[in-house]
Amino acid sequence: MNLVDNLALGFSTALSLQNLLFCFLGVIIGTLVGVLPGISPLNTTAMLLPFTFGLPPASAMIMLAGIFYGAQYGGSTTAILVNVPGETSAVVTCLDGYQMARQGRAGPALAIAAVGSFFAGTVATIVIALLSAPLATLAMKFTAPEYFSLLVMGLIAAVVLAHGSPFKAIAMVLMGVLVGLVGIDVNSGKPRLTFGIPDIADGMDFVPVVVGLFGIGEVIANLGSPQDRSILAGKIKNLMPTWPDLKAAFPAMVRGTCVGTMLGILPGGGAALPPFAAYALEKKVSRHPERFGTGVIEGVASPESANNAGAQTSFIPLLTMGIPTNPLMALMIGALMIQGIQPGPSVIREQPALYWGLVASMWIGNLMLVVINLPLVGMWASLLRVPYRLLFPAIILFCCIGAYASSNSVFSVWLMLGWGALGYFFNKIGVQPAPMVLGFVLGPLLEENFRRAMLLSGGDPLVFVQRPISAALLGVAAILLVVLIFPTIRMKREGALRE
Amino acid sequence: MPEPVARKLRGNAPDIAFGAFLILLAVVALWETRALSIGTAADMGPGYVPRALAWILMGFGLAFAASGLRGKHRSVPRFDLRSFLMVLLSLAVFALLLPKGGLALATFATLACSTFAVSDFRWRESLLFAVILTAFTVLLFVNGLGLPLAVWPRW
Repeated sequence: MNLVDNLALGFSTALSLQNLLFCFLGVIIGTLVGVLPGISPLNTTAMLLPFTFGLPPASAMIMLAGIFYGAQYGGSTTAILVNVPGETSAVVTCLDGYQMARQGRAGPALAIAAVGSFFAGTVATIVIALLSAPLATLAMKFTAPEYFSLLVMGLIAAVVLAHGSPFKAIAMVLMGVLVGLVGIDVNSGKPRLTFGIPDIADGMDFVPVVVGLFGIGEVIANLGSPQDRSILAGKIKNLMPTWPDLKAAFPAMVRGTCVGTMLGILPGGGAALPPFAAYALEKKVSRHPERFGTGVIEGVASPESANNAGAQTSFIPLLTMGIPTNPLMALMIGALMIQGIQPGPSVIREQPALYWGLVASMWIGNLMLVVINLPLVGMWASLLRVPYRLLFPAIILFCCIGAYASSNSVFSVWLMLGWGALGYFFNKIGVQPAPMVLGFVLGPLLEENFRRAMLLSGGDPLVFVQRPISAALLGVAAILLVVLIFPTIRMKREGALRE
Repeated sequence: MPEPVARKLRGNAPDIAFGAFLILLAVVALWETRALSIGTAADMGPGYVPRALAWILMGFGLAFAASGLRGKHRSVPRFDLRSFLMVLLSLAVFALLLPKGGLALATFATLACSTFAVSDFRWRESLLFAVILTAFTVLLFVNGLGLPLAVWPRW
């Protein structure tokens, strides 16, 4: 099958009435949680995951993906109107977006953010379509040693690009792998780390862990540090950007899209890094770098495009190799597995309708975001007036119901309680829980491939460097580790993240 | 699980706490897996990877704790006990009430309980909100999404 056939199949899947409906539902819910600060797309996806069990796999994935990129979009609306990033990925958008809003140009800022996101989404969709088939073919050649090395590289890359201390991130990844091993060992049938509790004999459930760590932990942390929100009064009028606006914004969109597309593919890139990198680049190439931060349109167009492009291309490693590049992609893996689909290179061959349907739905979803959300901006803005003291009980409640529904047992709620307490502890001591979730999801896969590779080689660890693909992957991981330890490069990284 | 942290004027409290947490985790994991066979590198038993990981985590924990003890002073972060306890309590209330009390009661009790996590709540507003949200939850999850849950108490 060639690309055109594939995309035709994708669009015929994505355009079915049911999938259109779930795509629409996904982007609307995504925008909603994106607009509201304090509810992350991760938390929402984890909460809604149990409710997608009954859907066909394609519809479930289309809706979950819609939540993801809808949230990126909603996050920027809050950033521009309130100067509070609805999502971490929208931190940079605050800088110039809010300044534009204060000058009465909220309309053009919102419109450029939407158009930039759509442009980036279109390019990213094409990149996914072009890259995924060759990558999946390459990944088909993988055996246990290659898989192990690939997983190691992915986890190390995630650590390098994470915020905060890389050594703590490595410790968190290892802790995640250990937690991932909880349950009955498939090779020997012996229960491990279960403390005799039958409810975790099949492994620690994914939903309570993630919702506890991120959802509950975040709520407690937010309650401890109340934010004040000053919403810009007055109606948003004049959505249309002027001609000079468009002329200034277009090259910035193109640059932002390139940066975002590339960083999104990297493991660990995800959605947080691209906007920072794009903003820094835009400042470098601008003839008036000193005007950034005072409300220049490039400062909105570029990070918004990068953000959306990165959000979408981060699906590439997930779909072609079964490797999640950020916790949200880890959730997607969980969703696929629950649907009975083992993520990996065979998905694209065995489930072409699911795969290409998802790709096509991303483009359709982006189109929906522009067409539906721009006229609704006033409604989203009024949602911002809901105070957090009314919002958080609802978040807690939905976390409870989500956890319960994931297993139909209150044990999950207790499990979530424990992980929530732990999440608050990590938050207080400044340790990011995201690397732990990656380790948690990949842990069983990592152990299985490690054990299999060692069995095949007769206990010789050199097998990982004797096979060329495996050696190359470990080489990349080693280079990344060196980068991590070199202080000068590390300082640059911190600078780029802070800027 | 917050670790008790020494309030000294030296030492990086968050690092010490993280180190102590990892050591505790490693000890618990080593204890739980004590009966599992380790096997050989060529034919690993169920205990090989978990025990190896636990020892590595122990090493990380000791390193963080040691560097934290010698490092620059950073105090224990302010711990918001009221929010922490009330949020966890509202989760516990949900877990305890749901099996016997039904969704409506569990939902309302959870909402009511979590309201006390902040000091600036207003009685009438919160009560009204809890009633509306309870009705919405029952309609959405039981009638709409068809979750197999009893709505009303049964005892």
